[in-house]
Amino acid sequence: MKGMSMKLVLRDAGIGIALLLLIVFFSLSTEHFLTPNNISNILTQITINLILAIGMTFVILIGGIDLSVGSMLAFCAVVAGTVLTIPDLSVFVAVGLATLAAIGTGVVCGFLNGWISAFWGLPSFIVTLGMLNIARGAALQVTDARTIYSFPQSFNAFGSQMVFGVPVVFLIALALVAVAWFVLSKTVFGRLLYGIGNNEEAVRLAGHSLMVYKVAAFTIAGALVGIAAMVYMARLNIASPIIGIGFELNAIAAVIIGGTSLSGGRGTVIGTLLGACIIGVLANGLILFGLSDFMRQMITGVVIILAVIIDKYRERITAA
Amino acid sequence: MKLFTAASILALSLATALPTVAFAADKPVVGLVMKSLANDFFKNMLEGAEAHAKKRGDYELKAIGMQNETDFESQLNGVENFITQGVDAIVIAPADSRAMVAPLKKAMDAGITVVNFDVSLDEQAKKDAGIDLAFVGPDNRGGAKMVGEALAKALGEGGKVVILEGNPGADNAAQRKLGFEDAIAAGKLNLLDSRTAHWETEEANSVFSTMLTAHPDIQGVMAANDSMAIGVVKALDAAGRSDIKVVGFDNVSAVAPLLKDGKLLATVDQFGSQMAADAIDKALEVVAGGPKLEGWIKTNIELVTKDNVK
Repeated sequence: MKGMSMKLVLRDAGIGIALLLLIVFFSLSTEHFLTPNNISNILTQITINLILAIGMTFVILIGGIDLSVGSMLAFCAVVAGTVLTIPDLSVFVAVGLATLAAIGTGVVCGFLNGWISAFWGLPSFIVTLGMLNIARGAALQVTDARTIYSFPQSFNAFGSQMVFGVPVVFLIALALVAVAWFVLSKTVFGRLLYGIGNNEEAVRLAGHSLMVYKVAAFTIAGALVGIAAMVYMARLNIASPIIGIGFELNAIAAVIIGGTSLSGGRGTVIGTLLGACIIGVLANGLILFGLSDFMRQMITGVVIILAVIIDKYRERITAA
Repeated sequence: MKLFTAASILALSLATALPTVAFAADKPVVGLVMKSLANDFFKNMLEGAEAHAKKRGDYELKAIGMQNETDFESQLNGVENFITQGVDAIVIAPADSRAMVAPLKKAMDAGITVVNFDVSLDEQAKKDAGIDLAFVGPDNRGGAKMVGEALAKALGEGGKVVILEGNPGADNAAQRKLGFEDAIAAGKLNLLDSRTAHWETEEANSVFSTMLTAHPDIQGVMAANDSMAIGVVKALDAAGRSDIKVVGFDNVSAVAPLLKDGKLLATVDQFGSQMAADAIDKALEVVAGGPKLEGWIKTNIELVTKDNVK
């Protein structure tokens, strides 16, 4: 057990060094990268992806995938937006109910993803592809394809609140990372998720219900989508049924760059945090560097592939 | 309860997806092919067309849309279904200005009156296919120039601006960018940077924040649609920069409060709700034996500012 966590620390350290090199590069090559304003911009920009990626880490650790998070984000947002704009509610009550509605919607969708794939033994790739369409369609249906806006002023202001130059929304994401880290590395539940990713059969033979853990992983991912939806609304002050298209791919990229294996069983949420940072630093730094949009997209692609190649080598070294 | 709602939503969308088979034999049938129904602009357009069909009452409207703006395969299938059903006219907002030329030629060969609106088909592709087709639609380039000039007037010569572009490769995105550039040249503005945010609020927010870091001296922003302008306004709020002026495009309802607060200087209304209805009128004239349509029939556009926002 001790050796294993040591290896995990080593894996994360590698990704941390890559992030550090990027930061050093952009600090030297661009004028504005290492300024307090830009740092807090980057932190704001990675927040939503980070929250989605935390949930995605749970799902990928058990060897699954969730393609529906972008659509679910829109569905959670429009449900919460509808609640938030109910007239004559006090701000406190409206925000509280909206948060419950967002998380509730995410939990239901996530539960269905997990339950359907576990009960019928279906690949989560297909089930969540279905949910991708269901959630998007539902978001469009409940809003009649319209954007919801005019949220309470204090809610809108909350999205750009700072504490010592750090965006509050990022602090929320960081707290979620801490909770996820604790759950995954310090609880029996967490260790069993790793176990399922490594050797499903062994976990089942040990007398554990695979169903419960699989459903739990997807439900957790769904709940996090609900939280991300609230953050989106606080940050941009709208809830539209067409938001979040392609967000699942960015979340998956953060998890993979963060060193979690797509086949499950290996990886940490700290890695995911670093992966999300790498994506955010690249997106920001390359604009400051003056690179064209198309080159920027290509480089992000190269980084994803590099991360997987490096992971192959790391796997060999740490396995030895 | 949640489950029940989800199920009823599903049932409802299935029910509305079923084709309407009942034709009134005497009335001409118009097949309306829309782009994404998943945004306010096309939604208004469809509602405008439905209201129009009810008001005129002398034709049958059958409308189809698609999942998103790049899903042109479902448009293709839609056109082919209309040909099979033998509609009298097809009125189409093409998802791709080249890919849709071939199926529309097939429709014309089958004797169907075709009217192209919203996004113009590619001239060269039309020539290659040997078809001559009129276009009913707004001048995206002209509209972008108009709103760009409003910004230029507010900033004065030498004003430093950035552009947020729509999807690379989309025709209206390219036209709007050209219009912005026209306004920049005419107003002698200084263009610092131009980047895509894929029509998206969140991406525009991130991309613009970073552009502002790179160029803190930005004075004006031209966003190719209002969704992106909303993201820019929010970024300016967060950065505490009320000195920077923003213009958008489309006049979606969510920007009305921003126009009133002065956070958005101006946007452009293309009267999407009338556009499809206008194109249907033109098509019905031809179906009734009127002369063939030619060239570019421009539809109304209007600059919307604090003074005339509703």
